[in-house]
Amino acid sequence: MSTTQTSPAPVGTRPAPSARRRTGRAPSDPKPFVGWLFIAPNLLGVVAFTFIPLISVILLSFTQWNLVSGFGGIKFVGLANFIAVFQDPTFWRSLLITIVYAGVAVPLTLVVGLALALALNRDLPARGLLRAAFFVPYIVNIVAIGMTWQMLLDPSAGLVNQFLGLFGLEHLPQWFASSHWALPALILVTIWAQAGYANLIFLSALQDAPTQLYEAARIDGAGRWASFRAITWPSLLPTTIFLLVTLFVGISQTFGMIALITGGGPGESTTTLSFYMYQTSFQFYRFGYASAVGLVTFIGIFAIMLLMWRAQRGKALHD
Amino acid sequence: MTPPYPPQGPPFGRRRLAGVLGAAAGVAGLAGCSSDEAKDMGTLQVWGGIPAESGPQKIIDRFQKLHPDVTVKYTRYVNDDRGNLKLNTALQGGVDIDVFFTYGVPNLAMRASSGLAADVADQVRSTPELKTFLDKDEPKALFDGDQITALATTRIPQMVLLNERLRKRAGVDLPRRWTLDEYLEALRAFADAGKYGSYTLPDIARIELGPNYRFTPKGDSNFSDPSFLRQFDLSAQLIREGVLYPWSQAVARQLEAYQQNVFIAEEFGLWITAPYSLRFLTDQEQYPHDFTVAAAPVPTSAGGDWNTGEYGAFIQINSRSPKQELAWEFSKFWLLKGSQDMVHAGYISIISDVDEDELLSGILGEDAEKFFDVDSFRRTLFEDDPRLHLDTELTAYAEITQKYEQQRDVCWLLEQTPQKAIKTVDNNAQALIDRFQED
Repeated sequence: MSTTQTSPAPVGTRPAPSARRRTGRAPSDPKPFVGWLFIAPNLLGVVAFTFIPLISVILLSFTQWNLVSGFGGIKFVGLANFIAVFQDPTFWRSLLITIVYAGVAVPLTLVVGLALALALNRDLPARGLLRAAFFVPYIVNIVAIGMTWQMLLDPSAGLVNQFLGLFGLEHLPQWFASSHWALPALILVTIWAQAGYANLIFLSALQDAPTQLYEAARIDGAGRWASFRAITWPSLLPTTIFLLVTLFVGISQTFGMIALITGGGPGESTTTLSFYMYQTSFQFYRFGYASAVGLVTFIGIFAIMLLMWRAQRGKALHD
Repeated sequence: MTPPYPPQGPPFGRRRLAGVLGAAAGVAGLAGCSSDEAKDMGTLQVWGGIPAESGPQKIIDRFQKLHPDVTVKYTRYVNDDRGNLKLNTALQGGVDIDVFFTYGVPNLAMRASSGLAADVADQVRSTPELKTFLDKDEPKALFDGDQITALATTRIPQMVLLNERLRKRAGVDLPRRWTLDEYLEALRAFADAGKYGSYTLPDIARIELGPNYRFTPKGDSNFSDPSFLRQFDLSAQLIREGVLYPWSQAVARQLEAYQQNVFIAEEFGLWITAPYSLRFLTDQEQYPHDFTVAAAPVPTSAGGDWNTGEYGAFIQINSRSPKQELAWEFSKFWLLKGSQDMVHAGYISIISDVDEDELLSGILGEDAEKFFDVDSFRRTLFEDDPRLHLDTELTAYAEITQKYEQQRDVCWLLEQTPQKAIKTVDNNAQALIDRFQED
């Protein structure tokens, strides 16, 4: 851009903001606090529920504290918690479980959500009802989800195994009652609960897709698959990346479903990092150590998020 | 002339922002504070895990009758992770609590070591009726040197409940004493009669080793003791044979806290539990059943005869309470005069001022003869004088418990060999002990 901040603004355009303006200073302004008042509720919320906890976690991660002893019981331990985290086999196992859990659940949720969106974007009878029906799992209470799937996946009396039994299958999966099957079962429930959300976002993106390109492609003789590959998918890429990032962050921090259905077990088979943090803090009262686990997890998720963001740059249709 | 930009306020400089944040934090901090002046000196605040109507309120009523100028307010917290967190944050945050109850040794140790519990050693020493709490060989109190920071209010003996209908069908005699081998024979007889024998086996390691059984005398992990392996191995074998209740069902249906439902549904015939579970069997509305129940002692093994039950439900006085004397008066009253009221909730007081028959009718309810073999309960709970324990070695207690239960689950789900499972527990426990020994 050739215009500098000190150049006079062309007629009819906004002048470039001065250094003062950029900092918001307006000495003649009679109501200086109005702007801040508007954002105050949100700002206070962010400060109270994000900023202070984040700073607290950072500070606590260098301490040993059991909460019960009060602030006077906080003991500075330097990097000891971080050293312990990296030497803790349960941390590494929980990290692996989190990666497998989110790494499988997120792409499958996207695939299911996209497939549903493509299907529900067509002229179907009762389309509105179908769209609502697929979105319902996303808004169902987590307790109801947990109880329902526990019943469905009961190894002996559950509908799923009874159905599989009709085909004469032996050695049916024990689902949540098996350290081998609990994580796959949890992934299944997660996809069921989250696919409606992905479906909704994909649907709205599909409805914004550039129709003139489809027409041009049709005139050029492109088939469905060619149109999807050349137009639909590139136009959905920003949406996909958005979903990828938000689902990854959300699913990698899943807590309620694990606490309700498996309690992290059997064994440690469904102990993800977020559940491990809960155990170390609220069951074992090692808040300093739990903060160190939380901080390392935060940095890991943030790094993965950045990588995802960078990987998609320049690949969308509009870029 | 309108300005090119909408009017904007002056910048909220970093200093001003910091000032506002500081003020907000200060206000928030002050809101969480309370002062002794604000506390009502005539009202005693008591927090406990047993619903008031199950006994505590009756004790409170009698105490208030003796002290008409005192009001006692009882707050019930649920004895789970969330409930304990609520009590801990309340204690730490200066909420007006004078007396509180703690269930389970991990919480007990943490609250005492954090200075939340007052030392009552002098008061105990000056009260002859409480001399049992000074016994360090069979401790019923939490000692820290010469200090006493918690007093157990309750004996929690374990016993074996027998479904009499299933017992007769299986042709098993009601035992007055039995060894583990005889117990296993009975389990197999129940299984042969078409029902599972039991939900789990009794804790063999506890029977043989008694208090602090997870630790060697030097404080190392004791899970290499053969009794632990025997527990895992024998249980896995009996689950495989269909003698014990399938652990996959226990895990899938999350039955650990709901064993009473399966016992009342007559899915297994023997149930190892404590008197507090009898309330399910006296409640015909919520838990209707038409069989009678008898009691037998926990089996003994060649290695020992510990009952596996413990001393529990600890009463503690908040060290920050400005009403220490009143709090002690109330605690003493609960310990010495509370047995007749607490027994209805299945809590047998350590010191009782009522006779066994009264206690028994309190535990078994009004229709005792209809639902219970009363004599068998008298023998098991009172005449046998079961050997109870109190763990005092508490290093990483909660973490070790978790590691043990994780391996127990995969072993009893038949996904891990008992040898490997117990070896893993041993290694994990030793690692935890090494890490947290200094705490």
